[in-house]
Amino acid sequence: MATGKKAKIINPLLTLLLIGIFWEVLVRVMNIPNYVLPSPSAIFATFSKYSWYLTYNLIDTLISALTGLTMAALFSLALSLPLAYSEVIRESIYPLITGFNAIPRAALVPLLALWFGLGGIPKILTAFLIAFFPILVPTLTAMITMERELWEMLQSFGASKGQILIKVAIPRAMPYFLSSLHMGLTSAFVGAVIAEMVASDRGLGYVILSSTSRLDTSLAFACLILLALTTFAISKVLSVVERRVVRWAYRADI
Amino acid sequence: MEPIVRLRNVRVRYGNNNGGLVAVTNVDLSVMPGEVVSIVGRSGCGKTTLLKVIAGLVKPEYGEVYFNGHKVNGPCKGVGMLFQSPLLLPWRTVIKNILLPIEIVNGNVRNYLSRAYELIERTGLKGFENSYPWELSGGMQQRVALCRALIHKPSLLLLDEPFSALDAITREEMWNLLQEIIGYERCTTILVTHDVREAVLLSDRVVVMSGKPGRVKSEVKIGFERPRNLRVQYTKEFNDYVVEIRNLIGD
Repeated sequence: MATGKKAKIINPLLTLLLIGIFWEVLVRVMNIPNYVLPSPSAIFATFSKYSWYLTYNLIDTLISALTGLTMAALFSLALSLPLAYSEVIRESIYPLITGFNAIPRAALVPLLALWFGLGGIPKILTAFLIAFFPILVPTLTAMITMERELWEMLQSFGASKGQILIKVAIPRAMPYFLSSLHMGLTSAFVGAVIAEMVASDRGLGYVILSSTSRLDTSLAFACLILLALTTFAISKVLSVVERRVVRWAYRADI
Repeated sequence: MEPIVRLRNVRVRYGNNNGGLVAVTNVDLSVMPGEVVSIVGRSGCGKTTLLKVIAGLVKPEYGEVYFNGHKVNGPCKGVGMLFQSPLLLPWRTVIKNILLPIEIVNGNVRNYLSRAYELIERTGLKGFENSYPWELSGGMQQRVALCRALIHKPSLLLLDEPFSALDAITREEMWNLLQEIIGYERCTTILVTHDVREAVLLSDRVVVMSGKPGRVKSEVKIGFERPRNLRVQYTKEFNDYVVEIRNLIGD
């Protein structure tokens, strides 16, 4: 295995390649039927065979998940402001949000489909409903857990609660908000895919469901790989944005 | 002359009215304009509480506090505070940290830019205006915090163990700097410290507190002219003061 800077990229790829080879050999030697466990080569064949079909459905899932994530990010940020500002508001609303979070959101999909039909809206809403909580919690926590001394110092300047929120609490919460988007991202994809499985005739979730029911397992695997690659890539983009926007939060490694 | 700070029979209780902990009680204290007063005592004797009372951050349960002849009812303007930790905001540059109090009070930062640069120059931070706090050493960060405390030309400077996190040599540098700044700005200064030598070196008067609950036990006037050369520390008179105060704190 390589060492040094390039190793960070090469080593996991090599590991992946080894796993792939082992998988391929296992399937061939054990003579496992394709509908139980497709070999990597079979999955690759599916990719080229269904490339347009997969792209089309991937875009559908992507749009739902990212729209849901954006809504969740904006909503969490907007909601965290009054919650951070007033303890009364926090005590009245936050327990309800936590309670709502205790409902398995997948269970809401049939209701959403009943209200909004089989189009994109239930998918976006499911993605949103699953993604907002993991964004809201760290953002709010960062806003309300300010060091006592810092609070007193700001008060000694004559700062009002609102000013402390704007000048200190919000910038202080930004690294937490941005890193929570990673959690929100995976959650949003979970939401979109679940909604596609329950109430849609499009998207990778639908493709997985319909292909497994036809025993076309390699198509389902192709969808899983696509979902993993997409989430991974977006997560990397988020990391780059994060490092640029809140460079100060990474002061330890500059 | 009227005292700039006056405490009359002050008692502070933390927690609810009947239970809770009496942090300080029966405190009478006057500080004259231009004076440098240190408050010393063991930890937990209420020194910091007293400072917060003067700043208007803590309301006394009983008694009155006056600043410039007005009763203190909340955080007072015209006071600059410096804490043990510099409490700089890591996403703001040095100059923006220094101007933060101005932004908060009236938002008119431009009028204070030259003041900020003057303080930066005076505290030896020139060239670091646009650095981030985390790019600076601990001593430099505390200088930035000092500039921030002084930006609005306070008439009273409250220091809460400001140098206790610094190494011995940096601390001596800060002592010199503080004496210079106090001389130039002519601000009255109240310093809370547990370092008796620091108290003797910097102040006109050392107030000794005893704990549980905190009270003013005694006062010692320091007879040296200000500003003082660090060498005064090695004289017999200086050591006599230190011993006297140390004995008052007790064991």
